[in-house]
Amino acid sequence: MTGSVLALAGAVLTLLAAVGVVRFPDVLARMHALTKASTLGTVLVLVGAAITLDHPNDVTSLLLAAALQVLTLPVGANLLSRATYRAGQEARSGLTGDSQDGVV
Amino acid sequence: MTAAAMVVLALAATGFGYRLVAGPSLTDRMLGIDGLLVVGVSALAVRSMQTGEGAFLPVAVVATLVGFVGTGIVARFIEGAGQ
Repeated sequence: MTGSVLALAGAVLTLLAAVGVVRFPDVLARMHALTKASTLGTVLVLVGAAITLDHPNDVTSLLLAAALQVLTLPVGANLLSRATYRAGQEARSGLTGDSQDGVV
Repeated sequence: MTAAAMVVLALAATGFGYRLVAGPSLTDRMLGIDGLLVVGVSALAVRSMQTGEGAFLPVAVVATLVGFVGTGIVARFIEGAGQ
């Protein structure tokens, strides 16, 4: 029961990430929506499944996948956003101020 | 409850798919792919809750790692293309 509630909460967070990805105005804002919401969302789903399932193999796979999501999603988003910022001016068009100018 | 989670994940996949098709930049398309990968890993876990069968769960681990490597490679490509 607890696992199902966690899975539903994680799925709703992933849906919120999708809404942000569809509706936010510029690239960096969309990336912010995806990374924050979907990291927590997928970890909630995986932990919910780990609570529900019994076999140690399944629980280990799920917890390993959750740990890897937490480690890799923010790092990947950081790589992608830095590359986008460096590559072109269109990523900066929505900004009111640019504190990273000359830093990144 | 898990069926509702599947429906919500399908709606999220629709949103990510829209961003993957619509763009406009290469980074937006990569966001769509990343989101679809997250939805896929989540759907795999939810499905294993429904069936009680965990044989496919190592796929979630592998998909996470492959997705990270793909994101890093595309980031390097975007950075090189802008210079």
